[in-house]
Amino acid sequence: MNFFDCNAFIGLPARRTLYPPAPAAQDILDEMDFCGVDRALVWHIAQFDASPHTGNALLAQAIHSHPRLTGCWSILPNQAHEFPPCEVFLEEMRQARVAALRAFPNDHHFLLNAVAMGSWLEPMVAHRLPLLLSVERGANWPIVYDLLAEFPDLVCVICDHGCWGEDRRFRPLIERYPHVYVDTAKYLLDGGIEAFVADYGPGRMLFGSGFPVSYLGGMMLAIQHARISDEAKAAIAGKNLERILREVC
Amino acid sequence: MIGTSDLAREFWEQGKSAACPIYDMHGHMGPWAAIYFPRSQPEQMIGSMDECGVKMLVFSHHQALMAPDIGNRASIEAVRRFPTRLRAYCVINPNYPAQAEADLASFEQHQEVFVGFKFLADYHQVAITDERYRPALEYADRQGLLVLMHTWGGSPYDGAAQVRRLAERYTNAKLLLGHSCHGEWEAAVALANEFPNLFLELTAIFDDRGGLEKFAAEAGSQRMLFGTDLPWFDPHQAVGALFSAHLNDEEIHNICHRNAEKLLAPFVR
Repeated sequence: MNFFDCNAFIGLPARRTLYPPAPAAQDILDEMDFCGVDRALVWHIAQFDASPHTGNALLAQAIHSHPRLTGCWSILPNQAHEFPPCEVFLEEMRQARVAALRAFPNDHHFLLNAVAMGSWLEPMVAHRLPLLLSVERGANWPIVYDLLAEFPDLVCVICDHGCWGEDRRFRPLIERYPHVYVDTAKYLLDGGIEAFVADYGPGRMLFGSGFPVSYLGGMMLAIQHARISDEAKAAIAGKNLERILREVC
Repeated sequence: MIGTSDLAREFWEQGKSAACPIYDMHGHMGPWAAIYFPRSQPEQMIGSMDECGVKMLVFSHHQALMAPDIGNRASIEAVRRFPTRLRAYCVINPNYPAQAEADLASFEQHQEVFVGFKFLADYHQVAITDERYRPALEYADRQGLLVLMHTWGGSPYDGAAQVRRLAERYTNAKLLLGHSCHGEWEAAVALANEFPNLFLELTAIFDDRGGLEKFAAEAGSQRMLFGTDLPWFDPHQAVGALFSAHLNDEEIHNICHRNAEKLLAPFVR
């Protein structure tokens, strides 16, 4: 079983944190080696704290020589031309080995809807480019619900959905929108993985560690010993994310 | 697998270890308003415990915490059904002092059930220093019982300052800091170092990287207790976090069973 972490970041946070940061790519790679994680889709905390421009550049530089790390950049509304046109940006992503995007609408002061973000979201749907949203950092459930009502075919990974067993919030989205996924970073719920797989199959859940906020191996052991088939474990551990990234066109 | 030790390999491959049983010192049971629980009934919880090698769970039923109409009855019934796997904390809800007095009066009749008391001050919104907890605390202190308190950093009900006031007064009861004053790691370590009858319980710390290493290094693994809030959190997630924290096997043995075995020895024969 190969683990491919969909939810981890590197970099020094601007504010004091409870968790020890992972300043450089090598720091997360060392932990991945210790825990047996093969690959990770990583972002940079400066994308959130400083600006997407600053963090995107830092991330590209950090992962450049580390093929086990795939990048995830962040975006803003582009009415003020803060980014190049979408197609140019997508080419820059490919050159930097960046395969997914994040957005932090609450903290970056914009609305994640068609009016403000349609120039990104429409091509993302067309290219099947995944958008990762943390409901703990920069977004919340009403934002996710409103976004998917407007873009029902968006590939959307809901991350950090809370240790209070948020099934009542994410299951309606799983049932309505076929390209919505949830990660495991905060899904500590005893029996949660099994109940989810029983109802929706293993294809809609992705291993995410939440590193460096959370321990890399916590949810690994939970997946390893979940009462589901070996094929289902492998899908959650990494194959689902591999497929999602392979389908980006 | 996570880490390199034989113990890590055993948990990775088997999901449990006969040489390293687990005593989960902070559990619950039954439904909870804000959460969907797939496995909240005692039989289901025992199933989860078996998979991870959890030998015993010490718990307080959610009904005892949040349904004063029912009180501790549900905890008592569950322990009597599974006497080799479960023990309970007698919940003191200070908003109902007459009920608390009755629970205290009947405590000795339930010696095979209770190992001490549980306070949930943040939820009951009465500080642990309030006089209404005093009869239970004095009783626990006389008898050397365990007192599991939900504690949370910065809380006016059960933060580190409130815990300190209790610890200064009650030196014979075993004070278990549920969630270890969550987020106030420095204060939790200071309390553990100052008061030898105080223990750091780890529910919700397994999800906050850095806390385990800090507690082990600065308070000592002899003062840390495994806990998951079961049926809330998967015990395997907690064990995976323990191994991710680069703790050595001796520290993991202390946290998983040795410390709890000492605390529970007077109550479990």
